[in-house]
Amino acid sequence: MSLFAPKPRLPGVHAGEDLQNGPAALRLDGVRMRALESGRSRLIATAVGFFVAFAVIGVRMIDVAVLDANPARPRDLPQARTDGLEMERADITDRNGIILATSLPTVSLYARANEVLDAGEAATKLVSVLPDLDPADVRARLAGGRPFVYLRRNLTPRQQYDVNALGIPGLYFEKGERRVYPHGPLAAHIVGMTDIDNKGIAGIERRFDQGLRSSQQPLRLAVDIRVQTVVRNELQRAVETFRAVGATGMVMDAATGEMLAMVSLPDYDPNDPPAGQAEALFNRATKGAYEMGSTFKLFNTAMALESGRVNIGSSFDATKPLKYGNHEIHDDHAQNRWLNVSEILIHSSNIGSARMAMEAGVEFQRSFLGRMGMLSTPTLELPEIGAPLVPKPWREINAITIAFGHGLSVTPLQLVSGVAALVNGGLFRPATLLPHPEGEEIPGERVVKARTSAQVRQLMRMVVTEGTGKKAEVPGYEVGGKTGTAEKAVNGSYRKKAVLSSFVAAFPMDAPRYVVLVMIDEPQATKETYGFITAGWTAAPATGRIVAQVAPLMGLMPKAVPAPASMARTPTAHGSRDVAAVE
Amino acid sequence: MMRPTQRLSSRLNRTEMNWREKLWHINWTLIALLAAIASVGFLNLYSAAGGSLEPWAVKQMIRFGLGICILIGVAVIDLRVWMRHAYLLYLVSMVLLVLVEVKGTIGMGAQRWIDLGFIQLQPSEIMKIALILSLARYFHGATLQDVGRPVFLLPPLAMVLAPVGLVLKQPDLGTAMMLLMSSGAIFFMAGVRLWKFGVLIGAGLGAIPVAWQFLHDYQKKRVMIFLSPDSDPLGAGYHITQSKIALGSGGVFGKGYMMGTQSGLNFLPEKQTDFIFTMFAEEWGMMGGLFLLGLYVLLIAYGYAIALRCRSQFGRLVGLGITTTFFLYFFINTAMVMGLVPVVGVPLPLISYGGTAMLSLLFGWGLVMSTYIHRDHPIGRRGSYED
Repeated sequence: MSLFAPKPRLPGVHAGEDLQNGPAALRLDGVRMRALESGRSRLIATAVGFFVAFAVIGVRMIDVAVLDANPARPRDLPQARTDGLEMERADITDRNGIILATSLPTVSLYARANEVLDAGEAATKLVSVLPDLDPADVRARLAGGRPFVYLRRNLTPRQQYDVNALGIPGLYFEKGERRVYPHGPLAAHIVGMTDIDNKGIAGIERRFDQGLRSSQQPLRLAVDIRVQTVVRNELQRAVETFRAVGATGMVMDAATGEMLAMVSLPDYDPNDPPAGQAEALFNRATKGAYEMGSTFKLFNTAMALESGRVNIGSSFDATKPLKYGNHEIHDDHAQNRWLNVSEILIHSSNIGSARMAMEAGVEFQRSFLGRMGMLSTPTLELPEIGAPLVPKPWREINAITIAFGHGLSVTPLQLVSGVAALVNGGLFRPATLLPHPEGEEIPGERVVKARTSAQVRQLMRMVVTEGTGKKAEVPGYEVGGKTGTAEKAVNGSYRKKAVLSSFVAAFPMDAPRYVVLVMIDEPQATKETYGFITAGWTAAPATGRIVAQVAPLMGLMPKAVPAPASMARTPTAHGSRDVAAVE
Repeated sequence: MMRPTQRLSSRLNRTEMNWREKLWHINWTLIALLAAIASVGFLNLYSAAGGSLEPWAVKQMIRFGLGICILIGVAVIDLRVWMRHAYLLYLVSMVLLVLVEVKGTIGMGAQRWIDLGFIQLQPSEIMKIALILSLARYFHGATLQDVGRPVFLLPPLAMVLAPVGLVLKQPDLGTAMMLLMSSGAIFFMAGVRLWKFGVLIGAGLGAIPVAWQFLHDYQKKRVMIFLSPDSDPLGAGYHITQSKIALGSGGVFGKGYMMGTQSGLNFLPEKQTDFIFTMFAEEWGMMGGLFLLGLYVLLIAYGYAIALRCRSQFGRLVGLGITTTFFLYFFINTAMVMGLVPVVGVPLPLISYGGTAMLSLLFGWGLVMSTYIHRDHPIGRRGSYED
């Protein structure tokens, strides 16, 4: 490198050279000074430049820390990364936006069989990467020569990669989507499911099939998945405890008719639905029509009070069984004395109820039950809705049996809607699975007077405090309700040991917010219930447990409980109101 | 403060100092400043570990202690020794850079380290100093006429571009930029005419579309994210978004020491290294940030004063080069954290956790200190004691 070779020395022109180097340096002072000055001014220029940079950093620091009017904020919920993914079906969410049903993109493998060169070889290869396929079946399909034949749906990306790597001509992937239900069976009877072609075939999926396809907006339901969970857990527990064949439970907002929870057991996992017409697919809450038994006495009492011919103090003769034609009406908890209206309800007297219905009259009973929605198919946003079984003709004997809940089969949904109307001040609002906008006044049809509603509330509260429903009490939440144990009619006669135990409740009783129904199909007696299978021993405790969990969840504050009452009820010193308190 | 006291000092400086005298001449204010900045780092690392000296703070302290020893060691070595061995150092660094290319350790997606068994060596860090030294040496004896000749500028340009190319290939965009910019500052100081810079920068800008093709996808992404950080706030833009959130949430006085949420709750991965400033600013707020900025300004002002004061061209260029490198570290890191420049892996000098950067920076400041101690020594064209 000649550039690094020493140059002939020119004294004094080297910028960095010592300045006090002899007289020669002094002579060329001007040149040196110029070099030095240039160096210094440039040093200063750089320094100024860097100080400007520092200033920028400082200003930006102030800007970011203090002045930024629109600072970056953490997002409250990270959104799923679905950029550019347009799904065929919209999501379904609960009232709080929790996803109940959503769609995921998948690919399905199909073949244009006429393009497949060697069906045998292709089938062998395919089965090697997709071992769940049947080789013979695949070979048959590939050899069929049809221009389109599905081989397997919903491949994972890994499987797709593997199949692709085989390089078999004539195999294609079809982009599709798969419906996923993150909560499994939890809300199966509400949400429903889709078939293999992504068409809704049950529940909301079927009812709103068009809407879910045409909109990208999630469909929000009135259901609260937390309440749904509580109800399902308790029903499951009751079914297991009493070895029952099934159960159904609902929680309804008494003021709006919104369904917060609706469970029917047995249920199924919509991600993997059972084949055929399985019993699990049957929604007891909306499709099954049952003779409700004693819970119907609530309507009977309200009807009698509404008729104007009976008031809360009226008494009826229940000293001996009531004979009508060749029928004889007995009491289960016979008192064998005259009973007033509240005693009839509290002791669930069939005789008294029948006499009250006769007092009110057949026609009045029929029109009253008609207004309560008991005689027509309920309206709910589900395809699986059952119609009530209404007696025709409606004679006096029908009126007598209907008074205590036999001879007229209604769906549990109708029962809940009717009770909601009885306790909320007397306004009937149809049940709905879609949420009402917050704060909106929902019009309702007046079916009973506000005064009657108040009296029914009082009576329901008494059933829990001193009647058959004591096990549903939750300290602080003033539960009121009515038990019902209906013998199931099989082949025209009633079976004593096969009953439908139900408990319909509302809370808090001074201004009911929610109506709860628990219905257990064919509970078997256990040691803990001392052989009883009546609702007071089966459905009522389950209802109490549901209330105890749901009420705090919905932000209801417990009312102060008198200390002795809570002491007596719970072993814990301060009457804690957790689930254990009602057991 | 450092005005030359002409006759007396010059006579004094003509006599060679022994190492004991040199120790007396060490500028302890400068060391105090370095220690102050490093202490901010210790505090931060202590907080980043959730109030624990492990695993970072203690190691960092040991490294700083070691670094200060190296600094003093480097400082007492005569500047002329450094000048005479500048090219050798450069050569060694080049060999190491090539070695790292051939058989380096791959870490975090880049090939940057050589594992020597007891230490993970990052040759690009050594190159930063070696390049400054050899450029300073090259320009030391140059006259204005020399510098004016374009051919004279070709060897130093090659000296710069060779390591830059190797570092880019690792790939380490940040270090390459720093090498380019600090050597640019030395060229500028050496008196290269401004229009030549214009030509080079113009050519560089013209090459950007071509260079874009050679960038790695993640580098392209970073630049795109810099241009619109909100386009992918959970992906590549995550760091910068979280960082800005943390800075903004600090406010004027911060959340208080050890109270930072963003960093404390691990929203920021690698919070102890490149993004440590975010943590600091969240906990100490704008005032803390400005205080730290002040410390850095002071340190760099010291570096410049020393460079200005130095009588030899070599010392001046070295002082300037080291100070510029240090400044670039700070500037690029803070500007990146605040979203002013794209995300590049440049640590906050003396504060970020990391050994090589700490040691090489303190080595560099050792050279500045040496410049300060030997400020009045005349240096001949080739590093001789006397002409």
